Amino acid sequence: MDERGAGKPGGLFRVVFIFCLVAASVLSLVTGAVHDPPSWVIMDMRLPRLVLGLLTGAALAVSGCVLQAILRNDLATPYTLGISAGAGVTAGAVIVSGLMVPALGMVLLGTAGALLSVAVVYSLAVGSGRGDLGSSLVLAGVTMNLVGASFLLLLEYFSGASRMMEIVRWMMGDLAVVGWSKPLFLALPVVLGLIVVAARTGVMNQLSVGDDIAYSRGVSVRSEKNVLLASAALLAGSTVGTVGPVGFVGLMVPHIMRTFVGSDYRKLVPASAVGGMLLVILADTLSRVLVSPGELPVGIVMSVAGGTFFMMLLLGGRR
Amino acid sequence: MPALTMAGVCASYGDRVVLSGIDISLEPGRICGLVGPNGVGKSTFLKAILGLGVGTTGKVLVCGRDFRDLTRNELAKLVSYLPQNFDHRLRLTVHEMVLMGRHPYRKGWAPDSGEDLKISGECMKEIGVWHLRNRLFVELSGGEKRLVMLAAAIAQEPELLLLDEPGSSLDFKHLLEMWKLLERLSGRGIAILVSTHEITVAGRYMDLVLALAGGRVLASGPPTGVFTPETLSEVFGVRLKVWREEETGSWLVVPGDGNG
Repeated sequence: MDERGAGKPGGLFRVVFIFCLVAASVLSLVTGAVHDPPSWVIMDMRLPRLVLGLLTGAALAVSGCVLQAILRNDLATPYTLGISAGAGVTAGAVIVSGLMVPALGMVLLGTAGALLSVAVVYSLAVGSGRGDLGSSLVLAGVTMNLVGASFLLLLEYFSGASRMMEIVRWMMGDLAVVGWSKPLFLALPVVLGLIVVAARTGVMNQLSVGDDIAYSRGVSVRSEKNVLLASAALLAGSTVGTVGPVGFVGLMVPHIMRTFVGSDYRKLVPASAVGGMLLVILADTLSRVLVSPGELPVGIVMSVAGGTFFMMLLLGGRR
Repeated sequence: MPALTMAGVCASYGDRVVLSGIDISLEPGRICGLVGPNGVGKSTFLKAILGLGVGTTGKVLVCGRDFRDLTRNELAKLVSYLPQNFDHRLRLTVHEMVLMGRHPYRKGWAPDSGEDLKISGECMKEIGVWHLRNRLFVELSGGEKRLVMLAAAIAQEPELLLLDEPGSSLDFKHLLEMWKLLERLSGRGIAILVSTHEITVAGRYMDLVLALAGGRVLASGPPTGVFTPETLSEVFGVRLKVWREEETGSWLVVPGDGNG
């Protein structure tokens, strides 16, 4: 690591990595409760589920990259800005109200809630008037998460057992879908967000060195940060609104990818997108294998894996 | 044509005016030292030239062009700036750090061009960090980090280099090397404006000195005119003895008496 440094991932690494993703995708398609499934199970359940997983992984991992660059903190995640709190409270409120909202409506409301909470966190951070936007954002985000969590508890307290169960299940995150409406809905904001971020990977590099240097090298720091923040919020917000809060992807994936391709965001962002897809697909496949013929919510599998990862990170030292 | 001309410039943060009445003309290939007590506004002076978080009024010409008429990218191709603070923990290699100085010359996502690689390589050799190119930035010593950041600033191919206390926390050897390096860079036609406290080590490398005190330029001109006991004592608000050491041409500055 010292001598070669983190620099060139090399063609072989890319090939192996893409191959892994394809293999995992195929594995995901052939795995499930039903052996030798009819074609509609593949086409209307497993394939949309796979696409949803791919979108989720790419969106959360890239969103994590963006926040780590802007906040100049390798431990930042999309949830640092209170995204899951906003989506959770909205979803919880809808469930408790007993309104029969169609699946897509739920997705839209969850997304709106996530984006709204980011907007509130951002205004709080800017309004606090502290010089350092980064730490204000983290502070406001933590506050939002706490407030959101307690609000959700309040909703759960006043709801019946079945509704409460529904909220809890939603908060676990789930990729199970029937039909294509969810993945198609999610594709739009995710592809848009990914394009906007991909065009700014060089800018993310500059921002990670420092605002003043970035500014002196021609980066319009304030507006670029706002665009990047909005993209991260869109990516993570729409994903959480669609599949629920799947944790740790935004933290783990950029971390692992850094050891392979280094911290140059021009390489880290695409690598993280692929890595995120791979991780979510693997976790989802695992969630269907572990308790087959039943299945676990992917969020639980991810949290257990992520928690373990976090502990290893802590014990391994940050060097 | 001067690399930098400032006339009647005021720099302010909101309503608070930090500096006023600044006049300076800096020719290419000259080193101008910016001296003054802590908090007098040396950093603000440098930031005012970029408009970096500072409100600037008055005339500021960079290579003959009003800096307000230049786009951010155009300005970045003329002026590079090395602040005191930057993230020290980046897990990028030295070569990657230097390549980042090429940002104004490429699109936000573009990979490094052959020209970028060539220029960054030359800059690393010139600054003397070529042997470090594959090391991780985070693992370098403080002095090495400063040199790498300087190489990145040069890779930006500036006409004007703004340095905010580049020598702080460097020992004698590295400090001396830093200033010899600046002298060599100025020999290539780059104008250098540098804030510093190191009059004894660095005074002899300056072509021009600007002494700030009380929110204005108290004295300016060649070192012989500014590095006098009267002027420096007034600038720093303590009694100072100043004389020139004949053999090396350095200025020696020592406190005048026990209670200043």
